Amino acid sequence: MFLAFHEMRRAKVRFGLLTGAVGLLVFLILFQQTLLTGLVNQFIGALKNQSGEVLVYNGQARKNLEGSIILAQQAAEIAAIDGVADAAPLGEATFTVTAGGDERDTVIFGYELGRTGAPTTLIEGRLPATDNEAVASEKDRADGYDIGDVVQVLPDGVQITVVGIARDINFSVAPVLFVDFATFESAKRTRNPDATTILPSAIAIHVADGASPEAVADAINAQVEGVQALTRQQAVDGAPGVKSVRDSFRVILALFYLVVPLVTGLFFLIVTFQKASALTLLRAIGAPAKLLVRGLLVQVVIVTALGSLVAFGLYAAALQGVKNLGVHVEVATSVYTSLVVLALALVTSLVAIRRVLRIDPIAATTGAGVHL
Amino acid sequence: MSVLEMTDVRKVYRSGDIDIVALDHATLQVEHGEIVALLGPSGSGKTTLLSIAGGLLTPTEGTVVVNGNDITDHDAKELTGFRRENIGFVFQSVNLVPFLNAEENLLVVDELGGGKGDKAAKARARGLLDELGLGHRAKNMPAQLSGGERQRVAIGRALFNNPKLVLFDEPTSALDTKIGAQVMELIHSEMKARDTAAIIVTHDRRMTEYADRTVEIVDGRLGAAGLQTAAH
Ligand SMILES: Nc1ncnc2c1ncn2[C@@H]1O[C@H](COP(=O)(O)OP(=O)(O)OP(=O)(O)O)[C@@H](O)[C@H]1O
Ligand SMILES: [Mg+2]
Repeated sequence: MFLAFHEMRRAKVRFGLLTGAVGLLVFLILFQQTLLTGLVNQFIGALKNQSGEVLVYNGQARKNLEGSIILAQQAAEIAAIDGVADAAPLGEATFTVTAGGDERDTVIFGYELGRTGAPTTLIEGRLPATDNEAVASEKDRADGYDIGDVVQVLPDGVQITVVGIARDINFSVAPVLFVDFATFESAKRTRNPDATTILPSAIAIHVADGASPEAVADAINAQVEGVQALTRQQAVDGAPGVKSVRDSFRVILALFYLVVPLVTGLFFLIVTFQKASALTLLRAIGAPAKLLVRGLLVQVVIVTALGSLVAFGLYAAALQGVKNLGVHVEVATSVYTSLVVLALALVTSLVAIRRVLRIDPIAATTGAGVHL
Repeated sequence: MSVLEMTDVRKVYRSGDIDIVALDHATLQVEHGEIVALLGPSGSGKTTLLSIAGGLLTPTEGTVVVNGNDITDHDAKELTGFRRENIGFVFQSVNLVPFLNAEENLLVVDELGGGKGDKAAKARARGLLDELGLGHRAKNMPAQLSGGERQRVAIGRALFNNPKLVLFDEPTSALDTKIGAQVMELIHSEMKARDTAAIIVTHDRRMTEYADRTVEIVDGRLGAAGLQTAAH
């Protein structure tokens, strides 16, 4: 240890630069992961954070809520399936509204108050208790969707008052209002006054105690014609756009996950080359190879740990700067990421370790340093 | 008891298809506290002999006994421990760890032996450096020291563990004559003060005056003086 620490102390700039580089790269990983979560949440937050454990779409909707309707007959059949404790209508549609003085597109989710389909991440205020009340997303507060704000569906439609704020409930990257199903119906009629019945887009299911959402979804798919039942997670993963966003981020993230350990691995390999004659001398005067390898590993751990700390600092600061993207610090993910980076860095340092193990102490007598 | 007994040692290097006999039937005995100069021209096998005596190389044939330990059949790991505990080395060129200061270059020996560089070890390092006239250089890095000072630090490093045998491979070849003589003087007095045996490799006959006995080596064969102890 003595050796490893003294070396780092005497080469502060070199190790400092590496630590900084690791810090920046890990920061980029953390930041992108969080952006991805934030972006995906903006696509499907409303599905992820509503209380239905199973969502039943029209069989032709291809997992797209926007294109789905459930007929009364189907709703009744779904409700009768074993393991379904509650099967409540869930309406979803995009409207043009005025909010905060501007015209905006807003997605309105209608659910039956007190039943399944309510937002689950309320952080302020309350859920709607009557007609024309809504829960809005934390992210859109400043845009005219804060508690007490009134949003009007155009043209000349219902006026909805925001009474609660929930976290991560956006949908299709638009603001969202969770309202009573009846309010949703009125909003629909604003656009289409002649509509006779307003059909739900999906059925939100609360499964009975002891029943698994997967099994209930399977039972519905097997027994009800013309519908597609998805667990909440399946609905989230299958929503339009989510997969392609995730895939493109994953390519970038994978590259970063490769670059960090490559950078550290290469650094330690170069450092090992540079101090080959010192390592040879140490082996000649009786240093066990194990001790030199341990010193190298200690340095890898120190550099990645300090680099991760730098990354955490940058990450926390950067998220302060982009609050309006609806992103939050993900502590567990950050810790997990730095552990993965550490593990990968240790793997790539094997190349340097191999060099250390191959040092032949006899080379000290020639001063040649090391047989490469 | 002899500190070193090498008997009929042969070392053959295989280089491609040809065998190079670097040492041939070399028999050498070094007594406790004795300073032996190993004199020979370039390529005569001096470094090879020293390396075998110090457990850096294993002989092709013959036996090597140091302090009563037969190291002939030691494996690489056993030899590492053997070198650490029994031998002091001063090499021709690279002798110091560049990122450790003079004092730390001595203390590293303590760490290699599992020590923690505690107060006692530090005091010992300081004492040795003082003795070698380097007390004021303890905190200097190797790059800040002259060639002679560096070799003196290396001598301190070699002596740190109180070995019974110290091996010097041309310790003054990189120094000018005057500084070289001073370093040899110092080696002589340090060895005598500690009653430590040493083999000093050199190709410079003038250096043999610091030894109790001189052994000549030519083409891997030791001269007759290898067996007798000079009356010094
Ligand atoms: N690893 C090796 N492979 C092949 N031949 C070697 C090897 N090491 C040494 N030799 C050869 O063995 C002989 C003795 O070498 P050694 O290094 O012991 O000589 P030396 O007396 O120390 O020479 P110098 O005074 O130049 O240091 C030389 O002919 C040398 O070329
Ligand atoms: Mg030599």
